[in-house]
Amino acid sequence: MPLFSIPLSGLDAASTAMSAIANNIANLNTPGYTRERPVLQEADPIIDNGIAYGTGVKLQGIESLRDSILELQIGNETQQQGQSQAYVNAMSQAQTLFPSDSSGIGHEISNFFQSLNNLSTDPSNLALRQSVLSAAGSLASAFNGTANQLSAVRSSLDQNVQQTVGEVNQITQEIAGLNTQLAGVSSSSPGYGSFVDQRDNLVQKLSGLIDVSVINNGTSITLTTKQGAALVVGNQSFDLSTALDPASGVQHIYSQGTDITGDISGGQLGGFLQARDQTLPAMQTQLDSLAGGLVQALNSAHAKGFDLNGNAGGNLFSPVSGAGAAASMAVAITDPTLLAASSDGTTGSNGNLANLSAVANQAVSNGMTPTGAYANLVFQVGSAVSDGNTELDASNTMLQQLQQQQASVSGVSLDEEASNLLLYQRAYQAAAQAISTVDQMLQTAIHMGSGA
Amino acid sequence: MRISPYITQIELSAMSAANQAEETALLQLTTGKRVNVASDDPSAAAREVAVSSQSSDCDQFLRSISSVSAELQTADSALSSGVTALQQAISLGVEGANGTLSQDDRNALANEVQSISQQMMGIANLSYNGKYVFAGTADSQPPYVVAAGVVTYQGNNTVNQVEIEAGQTIAVNQPGSQLFSAAGASVFQSLSDLAAALQSSSSTTDDIANATNEVKAAYTQLNSARTFYGSTLDQLNASQDFLNSEKLQLTQQTSDLVGVDMNQAATNLANAEVARNAALQATASIGNLSLFNYLGTRSNG
Repeated sequence: MPLFSIPLSGLDAASTAMSAIANNIANLNTPGYTRERPVLQEADPIIDNGIAYGTGVKLQGIESLRDSILELQIGNETQQQGQSQAYVNAMSQAQTLFPSDSSGIGHEISNFFQSLNNLSTDPSNLALRQSVLSAAGSLASAFNGTANQLSAVRSSLDQNVQQTVGEVNQITQEIAGLNTQLAGVSSSSPGYGSFVDQRDNLVQKLSGLIDVSVINNGTSITLTTKQGAALVVGNQSFDLSTALDPASGVQHIYSQGTDITGDISGGQLGGFLQARDQTLPAMQTQLDSLAGGLVQALNSAHAKGFDLNGNAGGNLFSPVSGAGAAASMAVAITDPTLLAASSDGTTGSNGNLANLSAVANQAVSNGMTPTGAYANLVFQVGSAVSDGNTELDASNTMLQQLQQQQASVSGVSLDEEASNLLLYQRAYQAAAQAISTVDQMLQTAIHMGSGA
Repeated sequence: MRISPYITQIELSAMSAANQAEETALLQLTTGKRVNVASDDPSAAAREVAVSSQSSDCDQFLRSISSVSAELQTADSALSSGVTALQQAISLGVEGANGTLSQDDRNALANEVQSISQQMMGIANLSYNGKYVFAGTADSQPPYVVAAGVVTYQGNNTVNQVEIEAGQTIAVNQPGSQLFSAAGASVFQSLSDLAAALQSSSSTTDDIANATNEVKAAYTQLNSARTFYGSTLDQLNASQDFLNSEKLQLTQQTSDLVGVDMNQAATNLANAEVARNAALQATASIGNLSLFNYLGTRSNG
């Protein structure tokens, strides 16, 4: 008769359960920790002479309380959040280059046209002519500075892309390592849950960096990008690599030799790439178009007039067009007498200044006036940040809700743990009491014949 | 209560949201602007670009008006003394046409007429800031030169326009050919004719009267052409008033676009502080209470 072994199994079960509780309590604040619960089962009975005797309790395993659907949603939302956050950060940097008040390109454009108006009151005045050239110089520098800083934002994003790819590789290697470890552990064994927690935590981290699809194959998981480039298969991870793309001048991302740069849409990497490869180049193109259009219109107006020496006007700005126009914009003349203000060759005529001033109201870039085209850039960069912020807020809210839902499944409740602790403490006490009772019974039986 | 493993994250985001709201409200209060970066309100920021350009254009127009006005006033007051001088020449001519005068008397009058002619030459060749104001746009040299006793105009007839309001230009000079040497009303020719008529012993009183009439014609031309300056100055004054009120209106527009409602911002600041304190308190009290507290009490007791 298993007189000792039955309460012993109770002691075992209660102490194992208490260790699970202790683990829960210890991990109360561990991010990604999933609450564990001991799964107890009645031990197989012994049948003797047609009578079934119970043999106690056995520990079937420790299960982690996780909701895989919620985890998937959290993963997706984390990708969205990472994307929006990275995009907003990048575009906020670009935004500071396009002020709407009294600074920046817009301010210099109106300053330049105002200097022309000022000169029109005294067109042969050398000081006023010089101030037109200074205003033209400031205008060119504003374009140069904005274009260069926009490029700088882009190249810092390029570095971020490389760093993020490095982080992605590190995490996929760790996940492959955990896959290997988990392959050797039974799902009912005690350490299993914490390995899975670690792996889930890494997958969430990875989701913040890049778009990830998770395929669960029992103990191991396969990770690919949304477009199917393999990241982790079983115990093997596939590193992404970066290489300079000569056409675009930025780092492209390769998976096993295939360029996947255009496929990545989620996570931090997706946000960096969207800003680096789409929004910022589009803004650069518009800035170049504005610079090129403005230079062309001003030069052609300038050529209609005559300088202070009676010669036909040359270029006011060095001709620039297409990519790099804004970065290379420069005033072509330094001698104020060469400014072609006159429309008839006489020194006192201001007739050609009207032609130059008229450029302020001409369509110079995509059908827009110089100030209009700049205002449009301000609007675009502002909208990019503000839309990104809206998406980010939505993602944050959604993520919080999902995490709260997950907490209601996987989170640790101290009240519950405390009552469970009491429950198993009592079970342990009772089992111990049973052992001591059996012991007394046996002693009684042993001393039965001694007659003492 | 089940503790989310993300609970600290959630609390932190609540606090950072409150902090951000507080920072935004503070920034708005200190800058007085609701739109401090374009993303605060992209379309308002884009409009601000245009409005701020219009507003600084107004400043420039006002500067241009003030420098144009100074030149116009100088020209106008010179012309006013020119008109007075011509009136004097006319009365000299009327006096000379009086048949009782001796030739000596008429010679004395002729001398006075000649000196008036010289005075008129000075006025016609008036320069302002190094340029000749009645030379059209050929203003680097004196418009009137005397060669062998004949006065010639070497300026041109070009009139400069200056933009004084957005899209509105105004002529800012009157060429000498309109003032001093218009066909049939030349100041210098008529004065020289009058002097010659006075000097000549063969001149009849009618000859002198005819020469005086020539001066009268020149006077009438100068006097009427001179009104250009007065009316231009009036127009500039009117534009100045318009620009000043336009500037006020643009300032108001900017403030409507990107300015902050101070009361609103102050309320936002107070609300953000309350929210942050609430988040802090919530964080402090979370996890404080559980069954463990009571178990502990019981086992101690």
